[in-house]
Amino acid sequence: MRKLSFLLPWVFMLILTACGDRAELEDLGHVVVLGVDKAEDHQVAVTFQIANPQVGSTSQASAENEPPSDILTITAPDIVSAKELAQSVASRKLNFTHLNTMIISEELARTKQFHHVIASSTGDREMRREIHIIISKEKASEFIHANKPKLETRPHKYYAFMQDRWRDIGFVPDATINRYFERLSGELFLAIYATTTRSPKHEKDEDQYLAGQVPQQGGDPVQVMGSAVFKFGQMIGTLTGEETRIALFLRPKAVNRSVVASYPDPRKKDFRVTVRLLRVSPTDVKINVHKDPTEVKVRVPLKVQVIQIPSLVDYVLDLKYQEQLKRAIKESLESKANALVKKTQEQFASEPFKWYLFARKEFWTMKDYREYQWEKKYTEAKVQIEFMPSIESFGKQFKPPQIHEQ
Amino acid sequence: MPHDKGWRKSRAKTADNLMTEDQPFSFRLQTNADLLKEIFYYPTNLALKVRNLYIPLLDREGMVFYWEDSVDTQTIEAHIVGPLLQTKEIAMDSGDIATLLTKHVLTAASSKKISFIQEAIDELINGNTVLFTEGYAHALSISTTSFEGRTISLPTVENAVKGPKEAFIESASVNRSLIRKHVREHDLICELITVGERAPKQVSMMYLHSIADSELIEGVKKRIMDIDTDTIMNLSMLEQHLEERPYSLFPSILATERPDRAASFMYEGHIVLIMDNSPLALIVPVTFWALFQTGEDWYLRWAYGNFIRLIRLISVFVALFTPSLYIAAVTFHVEMIPPDLMLAIAATRERVPFPTLVEVLIMEVSFEILREAGIRIPSVIGPTIGILGALILGQAAVQANIVSPILVVIVAITGLSSFAIPEISFNFGIRILRFLMLFVAFFTGFFGIGLLSTFLVAYMVSLKSFGVPFLSPMAPFQPSAKDLLYRPILRDRLLRPFYASPQDQVRQKKTERKSSR
Repeated sequence: MRKLSFLLPWVFMLILTACGDRAELEDLGHVVVLGVDKAEDHQVAVTFQIANPQVGSTSQASAENEPPSDILTITAPDIVSAKELAQSVASRKLNFTHLNTMIISEELARTKQFHHVIASSTGDREMRREIHIIISKEKASEFIHANKPKLETRPHKYYAFMQDRWRDIGFVPDATINRYFERLSGELFLAIYATTTRSPKHEKDEDQYLAGQVPQQGGDPVQVMGSAVFKFGQMIGTLTGEETRIALFLRPKAVNRSVVASYPDPRKKDFRVTVRLLRVSPTDVKINVHKDPTEVKVRVPLKVQVIQIPSLVDYVLDLKYQEQLKRAIKESLESKANALVKKTQEQFASEPFKWYLFARKEFWTMKDYREYQWEKKYTEAKVQIEFMPSIESFGKQFKPPQIHEQ
Repeated sequence: MPHDKGWRKSRAKTADNLMTEDQPFSFRLQTNADLLKEIFYYPTNLALKVRNLYIPLLDREGMVFYWEDSVDTQTIEAHIVGPLLQTKEIAMDSGDIATLLTKHVLTAASSKKISFIQEAIDELINGNTVLFTEGYAHALSISTTSFEGRTISLPTVENAVKGPKEAFIESASVNRSLIRKHVREHDLICELITVGERAPKQVSMMYLHSIADSELIEGVKKRIMDIDTDTIMNLSMLEQHLEERPYSLFPSILATERPDRAASFMYEGHIVLIMDNSPLALIVPVTFWALFQTGEDWYLRWAYGNFIRLIRLISVFVALFTPSLYIAAVTFHVEMIPPDLMLAIAATRERVPFPTLVEVLIMEVSFEILREAGIRIPSVIGPTIGILGALILGQAAVQANIVSPILVVIVAITGLSSFAIPEISFNFGIRILRFLMLFVAFFTGFFGIGLLSTFLVAYMVSLKSFGVPFLSPMAPFQPSAKDLLYRPILRDRLLRPFYASPQDQVRQKKTERKSSR
């Protein structure tokens, strides 16, 4: 009897528990990229890019004649039912656990349907909240089909590398489903903006581009630049790469710690100075909700590493010049930031800078904060932005070689 | 006990109907001699040697008995027969023959007077020489024991890079001597306890009187004396008679082949058991921590000792969990594997016809077969096993699509880690538990691993070794030298374990750091 009572829980545990979840690894079809397009009748066309484990992963068991991934599109009411329906085509059980990138067409993103698709998809246990959201200018299925990176055979690796780059350079925000869910009550959510189409234009500032506008020859078909702006779960506009960078600077904390950008040379108007901006401490945001209009004071401490001075002006030894350069950078950044703030106030009527966190702090209860209507107050707020750059270094070689004419 | 008496009776029958074990000697020399000869099946069995002699001092006939191959004949010659034949007269004459001979004639190291047949049998079997004289109903047993054995050699299991390199051998007296060399204390006590009814063996129980807890000593002694069996061949079998839970996967007694380790345990209040024919010493009681510690942890400097201890701790976990974690991750928790690795596993798994569990079992069982074969294989053909093993557990198995390549890595690291567990019983325990873990992981994934681990910890907490909780002094917590997962520097090893005698808890006083000046 004692033995039996000892064994019974174990037997029940084995019979009744998660055994049904078990699946052998090779039975699963790992969807690594998911594309969602608008279809008729409130349906969505879901594109699955399924990784082929036998291509590019190991030399032990490679299949030479198979493509690295299989792409198929299914139209269904939602993602989960599309997944089920796709099973009529796919030989393996589709699995989202390694899904890390979701491409959504701008067409769908600009409708109310977007939120319904995203919000309901997380009901699926396999959907991760750290899935990156990319808004494509064209249809998501076209984007996925066109994306054939030259250096990466396996699609998941391409996106994994790209996500690391985005974090470094800050041309695009680090947008995940989780962050999207955090910003649904009026705050702006920035999603990654990308395209495989091209509409090149030339800008003097190297980062004032949107995806597709970067002058490019050769290379991969996908351009990722700028961000798609969402408010109340619907896309309402775009920010260029530079605006995205500024927006990230104005946030209290940002994932990207340094960016390289060029600023007008204060001594020679035709030249620009390329610098690396480092964030050393969080951006300081002070909001006075008691004043009308609301006062917002933002101070952004920055460290500047001067990398290139094409004008060859001696900023290194001349402290006066240095002061001028610092002021030039500061003014350039501030004017851009002010323009961005103005744009968000007028065009989007909300802010993507996470300043709501500071406004919310000023209230005792959530109810008070909601009644205050921060987004509305923000559109009229007096925003004072101060960048505080301090020059840290002048690159590896202080003094560029000079040409000595006789 | 009834069955006890039964076999005694039957044994008496086989030897001699008349003989009982406490039959006293006769006054007649020839009667005694005949009786002994009959008991030892003389002359069929030529092991019993008899030498008749005339003892001039007593003016009587005498007989010297000894058992061939267990005595040193040189000693008999020089210290018994020689003096008996040569001594003609002595200055004083005292009454008893035995006393007289011991005092004035025999030059052997020790001798004692015996009066019963059974005593004579025991003495002879243990290599002593028995001297009978005419008209005297007693005999004299003179110690002349000399069994053959090997000399002290290097430890074969518990190797140490830095530390003494002597190991116990099969002789109890040599082993005791090795311990005494390490523990030179006047209160190092060696008690002899006899176990076994048919062929009684002596167990030497050694402890430091001032440090070991007297209750513990009594307990261990009682446990040994309570053993009711015909014979105990050696310590390995004594260990199984002593333990409280014979079915347990965790050992509750530690066996070591290092005298220095036994000595250091003695200083912590443990009791050391030694027996003939066992190149080991048993240490009781023992806690979980002793099972994966080695003497070298303390011989090496603080950082190095902790480093190897950490490595061994990791290897315990690796040996126990790796295959089951692999199974759980691959069959239940695919999202936990990095995508690159996941795809590589999936690619190779595609051509393997078995489920993951079967695949893992094939490899794990092959490894265990290889390991067992490695021990049993005659050393002459030993090298073949390396070749065969490499075939089974290597590239060939992968190329035959029986297993996926990652499994080779997993089985290899698991096998390697299990070799790093120093205690052989604990090693077996972990290896068996690994299979249990494997099945649970296959059925319920991490959930099952978690449950079984919880169960194991609960079980270990409930275990006791001679009254000492297995996981103490961590759980239940007791003040201790903190020599558990981490070892402190030597200066901070202040306390003895709580189960040592309460009078002597403090090993050393906290000392201030001595300046180098």
